[in-house]
Amino acid sequence: MSMEAMVFLFGVIVGAGLLFVKVFFVILISDLEVDYINPIEMCNKLNQLVLPEMFVHALLSFIYLISGQWIATAWNLPLVAYNANKIMTGKHMYDATEIFRTLGQHKKECFIKLGFYLLSFFYYLYR
Amino acid sequence: MTPGPRPPLSSSASSPGPMTRPPPPGSAPQDPNSPHMQNALRRPSTTSGPPTMPSSPLMQRPPLPNGPPSSGSQSHPSPLQRPPPVGGVQRVSSPMMRPNMSLPGSPGMPRPYQSPQIQSRPPPFMGQGQQGSAPGSQPAAPMGYNAGPPNGGPTGYAQHPSQPTTPRMQHQTQQPPGFQSPMNQQQQHQQHQQQQQQTPQFAPQQLMQPPMQGQDPAASGMVVGPPTPTPQMGGAQKPKRVYPTGMNSFQEPTSSYDTGFQPAAAQGVPPPQFGAADPSMQAPGQGLFVPGEKQAPTFGHPVPAYQQGLQPLAGQPLQPGVNQLAGQMGGMNLNAGYAGQGPSLSTVALMGTAPKIFDLEAPPPTINLPANASITQSPHANCDPSYKRSTLNAVPATSQLLTKSRLPFGLVITPYRSIKEGDEPVPVVSDSVIARCRRCRTYINPFVKFVEGGQRWKCNMCYTLNEVPSSFDYDSQTQQPVDRWQRKELNHAVVEYIAPTEYMVRPPQPLVYMFVIDVSYPAIQCGMVATAATTILESLDRIPNDDGRTKIGIITAASGEPQMLVVSDLEEPFLPQPDDLLCNLSECRSTLDILLNRLNDMFKDTQNVGNALGPALQSAYKLISPVGGKILCLQASLPNIETGALKVREDPKLLGTSKESTLLQSASSFYKTFAVDCSKSQVCVDMFLFGSQYSDVATLSCLPRFTGGSTFFYPAFTAAKSEDALKFAHELAEFMSQRIALEAVMRVRASKGLRMSAFYGNFFVRSTDLLSLPNVPRDQSYSIEISFDDNLTIPTVCFQTALLHTSSSGERRIRVLTLALPVTNSLSDLYMSADQVAITTLLACKAVERGMNSKLDDARDALTNKCVDILGVYKTHMTAASNGATPNLQICDNLKLMPLLTLGMLKHVALRGGSQIPSDLRSYAMHLFSTLPSQCLIPYIHPRFYALHNMPEHCGTIGTDGIQMPQPMNLSSERLERAGLFMLEDSQNIFLWVGREAVPALCNDLFGVPNYESIRGGKTTLPTLETDFNQRINLIIGKTREMRRTPYYPQLYVIKEDGDAALRLWFLSHLVEDRAEPIMSYYQYLGHLKDRVNNGSF
Repeated sequence: MSMEAMVFLFGVIVGAGLLFVKVFFVILISDLEVDYINPIEMCNKLNQLVLPEMFVHALLSFIYLISGQWIATAWNLPLVAYNANKIMTGKHMYDATEIFRTLGQHKKECFIKLGFYLLSFFYYLYR
Repeated sequence: MTPGPRPPLSSSASSPGPMTRPPPPGSAPQDPNSPHMQNALRRPSTTSGPPTMPSSPLMQRPPLPNGPPSSGSQSHPSPLQRPPPVGGVQRVSSPMMRPNMSLPGSPGMPRPYQSPQIQSRPPPFMGQGQQGSAPGSQPAAPMGYNAGPPNGGPTGYAQHPSQPTTPRMQHQTQQPPGFQSPMNQQQQHQQHQQQQQQTPQFAPQQLMQPPMQGQDPAASGMVVGPPTPTPQMGGAQKPKRVYPTGMNSFQEPTSSYDTGFQPAAAQGVPPPQFGAADPSMQAPGQGLFVPGEKQAPTFGHPVPAYQQGLQPLAGQPLQPGVNQLAGQMGGMNLNAGYAGQGPSLSTVALMGTAPKIFDLEAPPPTINLPANASITQSPHANCDPSYKRSTLNAVPATSQLLTKSRLPFGLVITPYRSIKEGDEPVPVVSDSVIARCRRCRTYINPFVKFVEGGQRWKCNMCYTLNEVPSSFDYDSQTQQPVDRWQRKELNHAVVEYIAPTEYMVRPPQPLVYMFVIDVSYPAIQCGMVATAATTILESLDRIPNDDGRTKIGIITAASGEPQMLVVSDLEEPFLPQPDDLLCNLSECRSTLDILLNRLNDMFKDTQNVGNALGPALQSAYKLISPVGGKILCLQASLPNIETGALKVREDPKLLGTSKESTLLQSASSFYKTFAVDCSKSQVCVDMFLFGSQYSDVATLSCLPRFTGGSTFFYPAFTAAKSEDALKFAHELAEFMSQRIALEAVMRVRASKGLRMSAFYGNFFVRSTDLLSLPNVPRDQSYSIEISFDDNLTIPTVCFQTALLHTSSSGERRIRVLTLALPVTNSLSDLYMSADQVAITTLLACKAVERGMNSKLDDARDALTNKCVDILGVYKTHMTAASNGATPNLQICDNLKLMPLLTLGMLKHVALRGGSQIPSDLRSYAMHLFSTLPSQCLIPYIHPRFYALHNMPEHCGTIGTDGIQMPQPMNLSSERLERAGLFMLEDSQNIFLWVGREAVPALCNDLFGVPNYESIRGGKTTLPTLETDFNQRINLIIGKTREMRRTPYYPQLYVIKEDGDAALRLWFLSHLVEDRAEPIMSYYQYLGHLKDRVNNGSF
């Protein structure tokens, strides 16, 4: 098995993982909207996953970078930059006190990321 | 950090409360308000939880914040111990109220720090009490008080007879001109009296007397009516002074104006529409003689206030005082409000005239409900504006209409306003019959409909049919039929239920006060600790402690200097003896006394400058989180050790730039996280901040913001100044003695199609429409924005606020506020019913939020844009000018003060631009913006300004309805005179401005000093002298401090015209109509608005 295949196999697995994480995010956010979960609990659950998700994504991008997969790297870099920026400004965590004011934003972001991971997944799979 | 000495150990063993909490009552829902939980409630036998809910843990409602997970079985008899319900309306007059000033000999509370002028005040204010008992007696003759003014009358202080008065001011024509000789004035005054006696409106057959308590209404041979002041009798003259003796009670409806929460300024100046509505008011009045109330006019029509005297409150004995107060309340919202407006929209031009500031006190626009909207004709069927008011008293039918009008739509709710002497207590439904809609969980209210012969009721929110509980008609205990129409929930819009056990997840918690006192060097040095200890000691008796369960604990926070019990591990604070540190107030009283007496001495030699607030808070939290309660944090230095340490981050370079808002945001995530934890455990944190230097109000006020607490800020506090100590002591004592509500949740329901979209105030939003408030302090206001889900096809909409809480007497209660509003399709109705005061309150909250989260510039622009939008849309759609440029700005009469109030906000410390405002002060002002109730917020934005040197002689004397206040003036420095004495108050501070040519007589009479030069400026207490003028001013100041329901104690500053420049500028910055670089004057601002409106940039 070539190096490239290995990298993309890894990408597919990680991509699927990220996809699941994002689905979990979306589920929890819609639960909050219909009042099945309270915001404190939801934020505690999601905040555990925020950093791992970003880290795993950054790691994947880094692997693409060192293995010379320029297209995959270019595809992933904007999100890495976006995540990094969020961490820098300290806005990456879900804040229970503000959650209802920012829920729309979070939801939009989650759906965009979900779409992004989905596309990535199929790209890694069929490439 | 050293927890204080521990009190005796006997406390916890005998205190039954939550420390020994019984198992939870099965899977009792945490929030019975929630529709989801209702299923569980309805099927007590199901042990598997609500059937409609998926069993996945994700999908289940979260467990109660405090309660153990809902796992028990329903068959568990829950040993809830609740004190027997307090029957009826036996509301103890709450000690949070100021001691009763109306009874001269009343014992009151021990208030040693009280200023002498208050203590020595003659019996004032609520004159109704006296009147009620002796309706025929003559009121304390105001003339006698200041007959023959010793100093040649107040006019004697005006030195410049030629001082021009501004002709624009309408009210000035009504005021005795200041430059007349005393003689002339008196003559004129008498003439005036005679004129009024001849005024035809007051002919006896039209005079109406409200039935007094214990007096047969029919026996009092007169019809009661609102005062029908005619334009010529308005102004400075109080009508009461001219009535024949027997007619005193005639004053009642007006006096509700004055002694209520909006007193003074508008005295004697009825809103212009008052007189106009006269005929319509009298028509229903005739109906009064018919004993049956059912014949009373329909709700949509003016309901005279006097009616309430006739209607015994349902199901409760006629209580002296209560009904009369009820009458006043009714007079306030119904009488005045309903009579208010004719059907047509009256457009006024803004430019070229001074704003008519009296209308700030005017009642909100009429709520013109369709006839028979309420099932009972009770005058209390709709909510009083002091509890809940809407920005629009007619709801647009479609969201397009709302968008088109550009008016903000929201509610301003003060659910737990204080009940002062003279206010109607909230009726209590004590029989545990709580009828709610089975679908939307709305509580039954006066706007539901009974159908099928009264067997069912139709919910007015979702139109579901519900069974009427049988106990509405039949009392199974006494086996007697009862009259359902007498039920309080069908007659009152504001009602309180005593909640049965389904509304509890645990026994009602006791009051727990945990003091976290900073004892570091700065705190000791500024005298905060000593003052606090004394105040707490003296207030112990005022803390609500009805059933002896109240607990107190004290933690002192410094940095690990060994004292008593030392918690040396700051990283993982633990409690050596968790139960014993919290002591029962009744049982450990003597220990507490000893501790508080020694507190200051224990630390007086400290050199410790470290403060570990974070660990102290964590310990306090551990201590009280099983119970819930209140942490009162007294902080005089910036926490600088361990968790929660803060840095001095004030950077003058950032002030005035777009980065400024970072200083207004929380600096440490600890406080937010901690606040969330507290909210979960029903712990509320209150902050008393004393800053000689930077104290990071922005960060520390996060704790109160999310836990339903309050913040108090004392910049440059030093107890050596008795005024500082007095203010703090007063506020702390008042705050501790408030009868607060505990472990509360609040939900606002609205008719189908409307949704609560944004919430402003101090609470934690726990779900899309559920607010969690560990504590509900009195008189805190919450603003809620409403948006449309759907168009409305119904004639009336309803907003119902339910506040499920534990009262400070340990009862679980639900307070329900119902407000019904008509729906309209017309833009003009919408404009006509807009309430500028509520709009300003809502916009202030929104502006603060915008300012904190993005930029202050944005917040200011948003305010101006909103104003331009409203004016522009009004011009386009409501005036003939439509699109063309117009020479003037036009707006409907009830919104005419919007530009002024907007300008007031733009110039306020909370939002003003510039680099001069320290972020602490700004943060605190922002905090007040989002929590003050309307009656305090409006003066905070647009202060009241009085001329005292030439006030009419009855001002500052005691009239039948309390101390009479002078006429408020427009906030413009044109009004200042060189020889004048002016007072300006913004509900937080009082300024006395002394002109540099003040005559020696004035200085002598008021300050007891020979001349202007000897007057000491700055923070001060006015001496109490024997002179008439001094006594009157002291009374006016006393009244100013009393007249709004609020724990705040405005501090008095004397400003000399040539004195301290900073003070003078501070004073002048309150003059909203003046130009204050770089912000425009009122006229410039109007010009600016006009240009933008004419350019169509809206």
